[in-house]
Amino acid sequence: MRSRALVATLAVVALGVVAATANAGANRAQANKLTVWLQVDAQSGWPDVVAAANQQFQQQNPGWTVDVQYQNWGDHLQKFDATLAGGTTPDVIEMGNTEMTKYMAAGAFADLTSNKSKFENSGTWLSGLAKSGQYQGKVYGVPYYAGSRVVTYRTDLFKKAGITKAPTSLEQFMADAQKVAAANKGVKGFTPVYLAGTDWYSALSFVYDFGGSIATTHAGKWQGALGSKASVAGLNAFKQFFSSTAPASAATLDEAHPAPYDVFSQGRAAAIFGPGWYSCCVGTKYKSVTAQFVMPSHVDGQPMPGFLGGSDLAVPAPSKSQAQAIQWIADFTSTTSEKALQAKGNIPNATNLLGTSVNERAAARSWFVPAAKHWVDVENGNILRNMLAQILTGKLSVQQAASSASDNIASVLNQP
Amino acid sequence: MSVRVLRRGTWNAVGVVLFVVMVFPVFWMISTAFKPEDQINGVNPTWFPGHPTLQHFRDAIAKPFFWTDVKNSVIVVLATVGIAMALAFLAAVALAKYRFTGRKLFIVIVIGVQMIPGVGLIIPLYVLLARYHQVNVLSGVVIVYVCATLPFCVWTLRGFIIGIPKDLEEAAMVDGSTRLGAFARILLPLVAPGLVATSVFAFITSWNEYIYARVLLNDGAKQTLTVWLSYFLGTSRNTDWGALMAASTLTAIPVVIFFLLVQRKIAFGLTAGAVRG
Amino acid sequence: MGVAAETVSGWSRRRPLTWRRVGAASVPYLLVAPVVAVLGAILGYPIYSLVRLSFEKYGLFELIRHAGVDIGLANYRSVLHDTVFWHTLLRTVVFTVANVGLTIVLGTLLALLLVRVSGWVRLLLTAGLVLVWSMPQVVAVQVWYWMTNVQNGVVNYVLSELHLGNFFQHNWYATPFSQLAMVTTLIVWGALPFVAITLYAALSQVPRELVEAAEMDGARGWRVFKDVTLPIITPVLLILTSLSILWDFGVFTQPYLLIGQAHVNPSNYLMAIYLFEQGWFASDFGRGAAISLLMLVIVAALSVVYVRRMVRIGDEPA
Repeated sequence: MRSRALVATLAVVALGVVAATANAGANRAQANKLTVWLQVDAQSGWPDVVAAANQQFQQQNPGWTVDVQYQNWGDHLQKFDATLAGGTTPDVIEMGNTEMTKYMAAGAFADLTSNKSKFENSGTWLSGLAKSGQYQGKVYGVPYYAGSRVVTYRTDLFKKAGITKAPTSLEQFMADAQKVAAANKGVKGFTPVYLAGTDWYSALSFVYDFGGSIATTHAGKWQGALGSKASVAGLNAFKQFFSSTAPASAATLDEAHPAPYDVFSQGRAAAIFGPGWYSCCVGTKYKSVTAQFVMPSHVDGQPMPGFLGGSDLAVPAPSKSQAQAIQWIADFTSTTSEKALQAKGNIPNATNLLGTSVNERAAARSWFVPAAKHWVDVENGNILRNMLAQILTGKLSVQQAASSASDNIASVLNQP
Repeated sequence: MSVRVLRRGTWNAVGVVLFVVMVFPVFWMISTAFKPEDQINGVNPTWFPGHPTLQHFRDAIAKPFFWTDVKNSVIVVLATVGIAMALAFLAAVALAKYRFTGRKLFIVIVIGVQMIPGVGLIIPLYVLLARYHQVNVLSGVVIVYVCATLPFCVWTLRGFIIGIPKDLEEAAMVDGSTRLGAFARILLPLVAPGLVATSVFAFITSWNEYIYARVLLNDGAKQTLTVWLSYFLGTSRNTDWGALMAASTLTAIPVVIFFLLVQRKIAFGLTAGAVRG
Repeated sequence: MGVAAETVSGWSRRRPLTWRRVGAASVPYLLVAPVVAVLGAILGYPIYSLVRLSFEKYGLFELIRHAGVDIGLANYRSVLHDTVFWHTLLRTVVFTVANVGLTIVLGTLLALLLVRVSGWVRLLLTAGLVLVWSMPQVVAVQVWYWMTNVQNGVVNYVLSELHLGNFFQHNWYATPFSQLAMVTTLIVWGALPFVAITLYAALSQVPRELVEAAEMDGARGWRVFKDVTLPIITPVLLILTSLSILWDFGVFTQPYLLIGQAHVNPSNYLMAIYLFEQGWFASDFGRGAAISLLMLVIVAALSVVYVRRMVRIGDEPA
């Protein structure tokens, strides 16, 4: 029977190894532990604010620990879906403001309406951001911080071209850009403005500036609005702005590849339009000659409405520590925390905390995506990006591309 | 000069050109990792770092959890390779040396398992692992990797075992040892190159895997190196190309070392496994 | 024969039926048991739930409640009526054929070259192959992207300097074709080492005398390869080809990361990306399950010839 014994031994050894590793790893979810998912921006940008909130929370809840797990924008929703399926969700999750509606509609988050007063400044929350965390009259998301879009530019190049003050109208900006271009003819690959063609956050700002919009609701049904006269006027203005100031090669590019600040830090662009934090990454060489101004509207003296980006904090419904989760969010969005975030160049979550930085002035006029539960599918389906590429490469006329995208959007938004 | 020498010279030249083209991306990664910022961002590329700097490596290592995640990767890879090899070896012996009912079915299962699209299986697998508390722990990842590497390992090892000359086996049996005793004492050493070659595959697969590790592991302190690497790209802000390339270089180094250690055996091993099929 | 298992070499047949023999008969089952147990335990339930999911309406709402609604074949119907599915399938088949073909042909040529070059060049090339093989996919994608970026990618620079045209700020990812072509170069580049090294090892087992004898008979180049070398390396080629088909048909990481989420759309979908976008991203998990199972059936059909040969090979014990 030696052969059988040997086989059996080998099998037992093999399975033993499996069991051993399994046991070693199976440390059960610890009691009194709050799991928080924040985006990496917090890890690289303001770890001290997170640490301070954790400390405050632990003082209020002796014996509790906070496990902050940092996530990437690219795949955090997929990971969240998996935890929803497996019943292992975190207790607090940071959500992009455009990502909220779908999950609120599906019942993924706990209703925080009755706890609203526990959050400091909740009476004066930035309305655009607060709206992204509300669904059918209930509060599911606490505004965390916002970010507006501004123009980051090279003061030295503008001065060299004889421009002494920041433009106050779109027309003037385009004229200034021509001057900067003329003064830098010799620089290979130089462009006065670098703008990715399919950067829909920027492009749609033109649409809203001309009174257009993406979609509107009528009797509970979504209707696409990009094909409207005002929207098309905005898209035409965008096309004109793009073709007269930005490099044609960028028509099909997106704002992540290459990052506009990389182009800027290579000395190839005098101005970039995007989030205020772009100034972080303009390269050591140009840091001292970089400044920002508010993107001007086609109406002189007004800012162009910018996309109001931002994050909300929510409590996943399956969380077993909801009271603690709410407490932690209250600590993390306290006036002290928000002021600290403001100091890092973000827009705080309430109007009474707003300052006068370029960033915050730009937020005076802003737009936001339709609050539809399928909006995120429009975004992920790249409908807007395709439309912009079609327009800028001249494949379709502005009206054709806009109308077809508009129909497309309506059909996605009206899915059951 | 004879035609033969001339011809070899031509082949050599072709070989060198191919080498340059093929290795260029690797070279570019390493070269970028040592370049100061202005050379990386320059309009025209610089071939070699003019003033090589170790700053990017320092930055990369200074990122949270680098060493912890190196350790995690090593644990995951060793456990995967060990378990997969042990299990695959047993099954390979059965396939190579025995004829039994259900054999064909087993082969079909082994090949069929590799056809399941991995992306589709993530959520169901996650649900199963969550039920047994195998989420956010390394053992959960090991379990998945073992499943992913087993079929290939079984198949390749079978080829090695089949290639062992029968007279050796029979000689072993004559001394009165049983069939399996013979395997253990005489055949195991003969199969060693095969085990090495197969473990290389398991090693690389589990070292490089990214998607499952990303979904299954949440804690920075419990992640593997490829997941750690992905954080360089995840932030919505500034991609630090220098640090990214330095981190990439660091991630690739263990595989290179492992390879150099066993390279000779693989080249022999893989064929032995396949040809004798 | 009362026992299901029988050892092959025949020596056991000469012995009487004893417990010892029954024990011996159970040996192969005991040997495969651990593998079957692990695969069954880990994959059994997920595959079962994938099948069940494919007959259910299973969106985010259902996911949170862990309960789907039975809708019969609706998911399959919706996928099979989706023109995007058929276009994607066709594109993926062409893509797979191109990738597998290039990988195998170039790998074979590289292996043949390895046989012909001097020792030091062989060492150099092998070292290069090893370096390439050791690059993790995530890393390879980043390096590839960095080399081909529009602004100051080194590829554009080199091509311009070589006067092969004006590639200044050339966008390598402008059209679906060029996007997939970039993915193909990346995949083939990454797969070459495995194929070339394996084939080289196979080639080195081709007896030199056979080649020389054939050459003596007046056979040259292609004929020698076809009549002498090819038959010997066929089993290896077979395995490599079938593995490549499996890997390339379901490839996800490289196209998804290289093309980028912002540029993934129905005009450049590959099957795994279609599955990911329409199943997971759109939170329609039931439909995603149906796509997964259809992919399984398709890839099985695509590789049926190879799989049958492999099963036949595997069925011949020593």
